[in-house]
Amino acid sequence: MKILTIIPAYNEEKTITSVISNVRRYIPESDILVVNDGSSDNTPLYAAAANAMIINLPFNLGIGGAMQTGYMFARDNNYDIAVQVDGDGQHNPSDIQKLVKPVIDNLTDMVIGSRYISRTSYKSTYLRRIGMVFFSALVAFLTGNRVRDTTSGFRVVNRDIINYFAKNYPIDYPEVDVLVKLHKKGFRIMEIPVEMNRRQCGRSSITPFRSVYYMIKVSISLLIGAIRPADSQ
Amino acid sequence: MHLINVYTLSIIFSVTFLFVVIELVRKNKIQERYSLLWIFMSIILLILSSSPFFINTLAKLLYIVNPPSLLFLFGLVYLLIYNLHITVVISKQSEKITRLAQELALLKQYKGNKEKNV
Repeated sequence: MKILTIIPAYNEEKTITSVISNVRRYIPESDILVVNDGSSDNTPLYAAAANAMIINLPFNLGIGGAMQTGYMFARDNNYDIAVQVDGDGQHNPSDIQKLVKPVIDNLTDMVIGSRYISRTSYKSTYLRRIGMVFFSALVAFLTGNRVRDTTSGFRVVNRDIINYFAKNYPIDYPEVDVLVKLHKKGFRIMEIPVEMNRRQCGRSSITPFRSVYYMIKVSISLLIGAIRPADSQ
Repeated sequence: MHLINVYTLSIIFSVTFLFVVIELVRKNKIQERYSLLWIFMSIILLILSSSPFFINTLAKLLYIVNPPSLLFLFGLVYLLIYNLHITVVISKQSEKITRLAQELALLKQYKGNKEKNV
């Protein structure tokens, strides 16, 4: 099985080296692709020094555009499985094997590493927790699928979804959006509990105002996405 | 009260408009993030025209003699806001297109050099 770990990174020079070496340590059979999303710091230099494959986007596209680039690369190079690991160190590469296994065994098409199934020590801000619950409920309502951690980027997908994402991936805040779209297309989704770390360094790009804007935007997007005919795109 | 007045027309218009915008997003003719302002505007227009009460109170506060002209004012102001928004979007896109053109040209240069050296 050809596995590609896609690490989207925007100004993550402090953590990128350790993320790459941890991925290498815990899933040595995987190729590593860093998608440098227009970083202004040393992220591309450190990634190159760590011998990862790199794609340098000409300007910042956001997580959606960056990950889609990774999926396009995965599709063009015939990977069977793609893993998303954020460049900020929040995801633990030690969990990758257990996320990958159900996809290899064809038990599911996508696995989400979830923070909220069991009590993990992950603490978010209050607003974020409300958002999580809200989205989880909205997605459950629209798809009949209970997904608890709808915004987790820690995901593993198989070849069919790689091909789908390479052509269809929302630009803004895609993690929640794709859950509805994938369900419409009949893909299987599985959630597995993982521990995630607090963001080690740097600032999250989501402020309180942005959180509200994000919630409204994504909700509208989800609702419209739910009424989209399944075979458009 | 006449059946067809500026309020009912506004309601019909904003509902139709909302429907059109949602359809456009559904068919991927408009990106979701650009549709938000339109959806927001339609909803406000719908609320304002749902009952003369809102427009009348607002008109009294602003010393406007003819309340329905507030609806027109609202529409105009919103168009201005939206145009400004679009201007910002276009400026950003111009920047990105310039970068793309430059990177493409540089890429062709590098490719040309590589082929010369091989």
